[in-house]
Amino acid sequence: MNRLLVTAWLLLWPCLLWAQQPQEGAGSGQDQQGQVEINPDVTTQARVAVADFVARTSANRATEEAAETFNRVLWDDLEFSARFEMPSKSFYPLRPIRNASDVSFEDWQVPTLDVDYLAFGNIQVDVNGTVLEAFLYDVGTREQIIGQRYRLTRTEQIRRSAHAFADQVVFNLTAGASRGVAQTQIAFTSEKGGSKEIYVVDYDGFNERTITANDGLNKFPDWSNENRYLAFVTNLPGSARWELWVQDLEGASGRQVIQVPTTYVSSPSFSPDGSRLALSARAVDKSDPDVFIADIERALSGQGGGSRLRNLTNHPSIDTAPTWSPTGRQLAFISDRSGTPQIWMMDADGSNLRRLTQDGGHCDSPDWSPDGRRIAFSWQAPRQWKHDIFIIDVATGVTNQVTSGRGSAENPHWSPDGRHLVFQSTRTGSKQIFIVNVDGENLKQITAYGINENPAWSGYRSLER
Amino acid sequence: MKRGKFWVLSAVLLSLIVVLGGCGDKDVAEPTPPRPAPMPDEPEPEPAADRPTIDLSASPSSIERGSQVTLRWTSGAADSVVISNGIGNVQLNGSLVVTPRESTTYTATAKGPGGEATSSARVTIVEPEPVETDSDETLLQEAIREGRIRHVFFAYDKAQLTAEAKARLEANAIILREYSDANFIIEGHCDERGSEEYNLALGERRAQAARDYLVSLGVDAGRISTISYGEERPFAQGHDEEAWAQNRRAHFATARR
Repeated sequence: MNRLLVTAWLLLWPCLLWAQQPQEGAGSGQDQQGQVEINPDVTTQARVAVADFVARTSANRATEEAAETFNRVLWDDLEFSARFEMPSKSFYPLRPIRNASDVSFEDWQVPTLDVDYLAFGNIQVDVNGTVLEAFLYDVGTREQIIGQRYRLTRTEQIRRSAHAFADQVVFNLTAGASRGVAQTQIAFTSEKGGSKEIYVVDYDGFNERTITANDGLNKFPDWSNENRYLAFVTNLPGSARWELWVQDLEGASGRQVIQVPTTYVSSPSFSPDGSRLALSARAVDKSDPDVFIADIERALSGQGGGSRLRNLTNHPSIDTAPTWSPTGRQLAFISDRSGTPQIWMMDADGSNLRRLTQDGGHCDSPDWSPDGRRIAFSWQAPRQWKHDIFIIDVATGVTNQVTSGRGSAENPHWSPDGRHLVFQSTRTGSKQIFIVNVDGENLKQITAYGINENPAWSGYRSLER
Repeated sequence: MKRGKFWVLSAVLLSLIVVLGGCGDKDVAEPTPPRPAPMPDEPEPEPAADRPTIDLSASPSSIERGSQVTLRWTSGAADSVVISNGIGNVQLNGSLVVTPRESTTYTATAKGPGGEATSSARVTIVEPEPVETDSDETLLQEAIREGRIRHVFFAYDKAQLTAEAKARLEANAIILREYSDANFIIEGHCDERGSEEYNLALGERRAQAARDYLVSLGVDAGRISTISYGEERPFAQGHDEEAWAQNRRAHFATARR
């Protein structure tokens, strides 16, 4: 299975490299310049049509099923990206499109459609495997923007090729300013039997797989910068302590890269460059948790050596849930030193401490946005017991509510493009994972079975195991 | 010819008895000589007496040190019965309660006109089985199970000990000091209304608050470990104040549960 996924990745990688070239360094550029549009301006959105991909040569059952899957995944990906207007397929011309010679562009420019871009393609599944051709055309200029041939060894890779093409479309139609999240994944905690294990699932809720199977409590997973590692805390069965574990997704093993001083450790957070971990722990001689950071580069690279913990808060109050700014120069965290848990910020050396949230109640689980401008968090109003997801502007303190309605919502985490949030909610009764646009629209449930919590959205590049 | 031999043998035996008797070895048992057949032309010999019998038993035959044993004996054709080990003369038939300190073999000797007989009974002292004593950890487990060790409850979003919490910990400390070999765990728990990360930290503070107070009351800090379960392991499943109050606690447990 792992080998097949790697094969799929290798097959898809060239088109991604091509797609990513103009994007080098864009991550840091976004941090500083704030280029990501958090609230897409609907009036300037391109209109995109996605014609159903059809059988290339002959229709057989396998080809029809592959095409059906591809069409559904591609549509969902592009619709979820919330970057385009996508007129209903019921307005589309009926004539199937295998390749560009089948397209009559004027049919796509009628008032009911009036699309700027048209995606189409073909699929063929036979004994030699699956071949998929995908195209994106500018309807106005009638020029090809994307022409890509995918060779798949297994029909299971259909979903991945649809995700890859969707991300290509997003990248091209935003002029390389943004990347799509269709190939990202979400790590989370799932309780399906008595234990709570770490799982990873594709961002659309498919392809769920287990990371831990230790029958303990595994909580608060966090991805490293290139999605190679997952850090989380574990309480093993029969043990009366929490431990910090780092799982190498390229290898098979989990490790304790940091020995914490006491039985409490929580909320690990990788620094943006992956060299440090921030976490909440308790010093031996103290009665309350503090925020610590540790260099883990040597330990992760197998050179051993102590990962010395440095206490950044050292204050007789609860200090927990640290999150890094995308530059790695600041941390936001939760402290109840003012009476109730609020979001505080400090520089990564512990200096420049200041309080961010001012409205009382209970704040928790801050997560700094990829563009550095906002922090998502959960908030419980005074004398309420329901939590909802909010976003605060770091510079102005202006706060927007993202979730509302039935149940409680906690543990928000940004998508790498800063346009979506993943969180857990009890709105359907039990705790489940949901994703939503930052403006609160487009709510989508990702999990349904078991109790699911502590979601963490991966970065763009997902290493396959 | 045959008769002549018999008389020679009898004379030798009789002279042997006389010689031995003259030596004063009166207690030597001697096989009873066969009675000579009465001879009409000889003076009738004195008829020989029956040989005594004795049977001694001890019940029970094995005891723990300090327990009693009943010796029982019956004799026949005896004039006297003597039991060894300082008991001395006893009735011809009877019983006696003794308390031997060591393993002992009692011997009863019955004497009568027909001679002597002996019977022995051995009493064995066994060491008492060591009594199974419960470990302090077992006793503490029991105290927790029976509610003599009381869990400590907190106000919403608080880790400070209330007056009642302190009183409970003071009562707990007395028991905890008594079972001084037992290590134990204080678990910090929270109700579901808080958020997860904050609750895990709050549970840690609650466990620490209970621990610190016990240490101030003289309970050895080395015996206490703490862990926070935040809202992970609620005791009551409801979603009302009754359940929440149950779940805001410092919970006592031993490593074995």
